[in-house]
Amino acid sequence: MSISSFFRPHAALYAAVARLGFRRQFAYPQAALWGLITNLFFGLLRIAVLVALFGQQPQVAGYTVQDAITYTGLTQALIMTLSLFGWTDFMRTIHRGEIVGDLLRPHDLLAFWAAQDAGRAAGQFVLRGLPMLALFAVVWGATFPAGVEGWTLTALSLLLAWACGFAFRFLVNCAAFWSPDAVGIGRFAWAVLGLGSGFLMPLAFFPPGVQQVLALTPFPSMMNTTVEVWLGVRTGAQALAGLTVQLGWALALFALAAAVLSRGLRRLEAAGG
Amino acid sequence: MDRPFAASPQDQTDGPLASATHHLRLYFLLLRAQARSQAVYRLSFALDAVGSAFITLAEFAAFALVLPRFGTLSGWTLGEVALLYGLAELAFVLMDLLFGGFDAPNLSQHVRSGSFNTFLLRPAPLRLQIFGSDFALRRVTRIFLAAGILAYGVSASGAVWTPEATLLLTGSVVGMIAFFGGLFVIGGTLTFWTVESVEAMNVLTYGGRTLISYPMDIYGQFLRKTFTYLLPAAFLSYFPVLSVLGRPLPDGLPLVAAYLSPLIGPLMLAAAFAFWRVGVRHYGGTGT
Repeated sequence: MSISSFFRPHAALYAAVARLGFRRQFAYPQAALWGLITNLFFGLLRIAVLVALFGQQPQVAGYTVQDAITYTGLTQALIMTLSLFGWTDFMRTIHRGEIVGDLLRPHDLLAFWAAQDAGRAAGQFVLRGLPMLALFAVVWGATFPAGVEGWTLTALSLLLAWACGFAFRFLVNCAAFWSPDAVGIGRFAWAVLGLGSGFLMPLAFFPPGVQQVLALTPFPSMMNTTVEVWLGVRTGAQALAGLTVQLGWALALFALAAAVLSRGLRRLEAAGG
Repeated sequence: MDRPFAASPQDQTDGPLASATHHLRLYFLLLRAQARSQAVYRLSFALDAVGSAFITLAEFAAFALVLPRFGTLSGWTLGEVALLYGLAELAFVLMDLLFGGFDAPNLSQHVRSGSFNTFLLRPAPLRLQIFGSDFALRRVTRIFLAAGILAYGVSASGAVWTPEATLLLTGSVVGMIAFFGGLFVIGGTLTFWTVESVEAMNVLTYGGRTLISYPMDIYGQFLRKTFTYLLPAAFLSYFPVLSVLGRPLPDGLPLVAAYLSPLIGPLMLAAAFAFWRVGVRHYGGTGT
């Protein structure tokens, strides 16, 4: 089945699912406020470490101190949007057997969850990301992408980062088809995600060897590329190359997720789940 | 399990020592039961345990990997930072194993589901049951990792190792366990009143742990003074490490300030348990 022929009749359904996922994020405004305060405090600590590292050096690996501060604000703002600390919702439906109910509905599971997560991510971006970025801009002078080109490339890169990240998280969740407790696999995967996506430190600061190894993995596409496009560390052709790599990984990871999901579902049917 | 609670009544009449032994036995029985159930799925347990340590490892590795490009962290070498980082992580994971039951997410689940009432009904001390209620065995790997980072810090920091330095750092860990345990108890107690705002405690617990993992002079005057004089976190490990490295304490504080960790921690814990008693009375008073 080609993608377009599959999506068209269900487009309204997925749009509704995404809308619901978006709206659900606003159910607990108080929790979001506390989350924002916690993220701000951790952001403050991370800035202190980065500023102390820079010391008197004006620029390291293409980053100025101001870039490092913007990097911190951006990564703190995207924690919830990109679920950088992990995501186990799909895993839970497998463990609890709720997935059987989902299978009765006439939709593609991967597309269904992608739509829901897209809505969730958008909701978190509005609720937690934007206020955080605004605060960082006001308090620490965080900077924004340069011009129409900068904004366009950044927006596209952010979408692709979400796509890569979602497909990876979904794949990790699929481990629940085979393991009675996939949480452990998840914990390991989220730690790799934190390091490889450039959440813990900008990847440009790592030794060249480590950067080369990471460049072979999809992890930099899950956030680091977006950060570098936002900051203008990557511009023009370099930015486009980064986006192309992201697109490649997004397609590959989605294809892999679809394949693993269908294997998992077949296993479920064979087991009479 | 071999009827751990049945022996309770007669033991309690045998004086404080027998009762303490009995409680300790009870505590370890609770831990063993949980450890066993958690280790049922061997592969996933192993992955969980490795994954738990890997989160910390990734964080420290990220710092260790970028440090060479910058030289030092405002005058602190990797070995010196490892001393701070390893101490904080070691104390925090030991505290987590001991006090996990009091952590707000765990306790609030018991309060909401009603299983907290079961604790109140059992013929065993309430606090002992909470202490033994959420023992996450997978965290054991983090103890080894923390000890490894600390050992690296000890060997690479170039500090002269005297029995006094060992005593100072041991006291630092003991103080931190009690201090952060106290914060967990306070967070857990708050769940008797509210579920939502407890998330703010994360700033103090997990935030505090992160804060003291790096030398506190990097935070600027306001933060450093707040966490020295308002919330005395600097006394826990920063001052002891400064003393071990032979550096002066900030604000002209006397050297004795480096020895206060095993005093400040238990004080915090005592205050937290006083608050806990108020909370339990409040919980019992609502008739729920």
